[in-house]
Amino acid sequence: MTRQRALLLLFRILVGGVFIYSGVVKILDPLAFAQQVRNYRTVGQDLAFLVAVYLPWLEALAGAFLVAGVFKKASAALISLMLLGFIVLVAVTMVRGIDVDCGCFGALSRRAGWPLLLEDAVLLGMALAVLLARDKTAPGSAEEA
Amino acid sequence: MRADVRGILKGAALIALLAAAAGTATNARLIGRLLRGEFRQSFTTPAEYPRIRFITVGEAEDLFAAGEAAFLDSRPRSEFGAGHVPGARNLPLEEHRRGVKPEAVGSPLERILVVYCEGGDCQASVALARLLHDAGFQDIRVLTGGWTEWRAAGLPELKSDD
Repeated sequence: MTRQRALLLLFRILVGGVFIYSGVVKILDPLAFAQQVRNYRTVGQDLAFLVAVYLPWLEALAGAFLVAGVFKKASAALISLMLLGFIVLVAVTMVRGIDVDCGCFGALSRRAGWPLLLEDAVLLGMALAVLLARDKTAPGSAEEA
Repeated sequence: MRADVRGILKGAALIALLAAAAGTATNARLIGRLLRGEFRQSFTTPAEYPRIRFITVGEAEDLFAAGEAAFLDSRPRSEFGAGHVPGARNLPLEEHRRGVKPEAVGSPLERILVVYCEGGDCQASVALARLLHDAGFQDIRVLTGGWTEWRAAGLPELKSDD
């Protein structure tokens, strides 16, 4: 049981850390991220702009809450949803044959392709494990939300 | 279980609200610029990239005819091989993601550069233009209609791998 809890903590730190990093990198340069969103050729200028303004904050905050263990199920749910969205987007982009930088981590981004899908799937698995874990904390504990 | 779900939804809504507030607060100036009509064509703005301009096929044709500009093709090598602007140099974006060295362009920094990609909604030309800007080129022009419009206009075309 303790081993399981340690594993869940590790998952939270890993997934949350990735989301904090990826969020902060984009918050620092919203226009560059907007252009990267646009590169997927899925949404227009306005929607790309809105995604670039709000998504990075959602990533960073959800990641921070997940690491901190506050609203951890809620943040795990949000992160799972985002990852599902990324996976669908990358898959659709690959099927459409569009060669695009994934736009995940600013200058460290690589192409949207199989390795990226796999990485997102692993992160999704960890986020879902946190989301679906049966919580052993005492009823009424502030940790649960 | 139902209480669990409600708690998760509440927490998620709270985090989303916080993100909305933070996003709006930190980007108020950018949002204002969007509302004033900026970013219609590109997120590469004159303020950040003063040496990048967007041109039509007509302007590109004039530059081509006068021999005043070096043409750069940002598409993958296979597409370049299938047909390109005569004299254009292929700088596939996927091979230059980390930046462009001036030697790769083969033109002096003050030469006019015309960058294009496939056309329609393609964004590779804009991305390459930003890299060229960062490399110090002085006059970069993005052909908005790209290769598609160049061909549709019946302008010269060269096939082969060079």
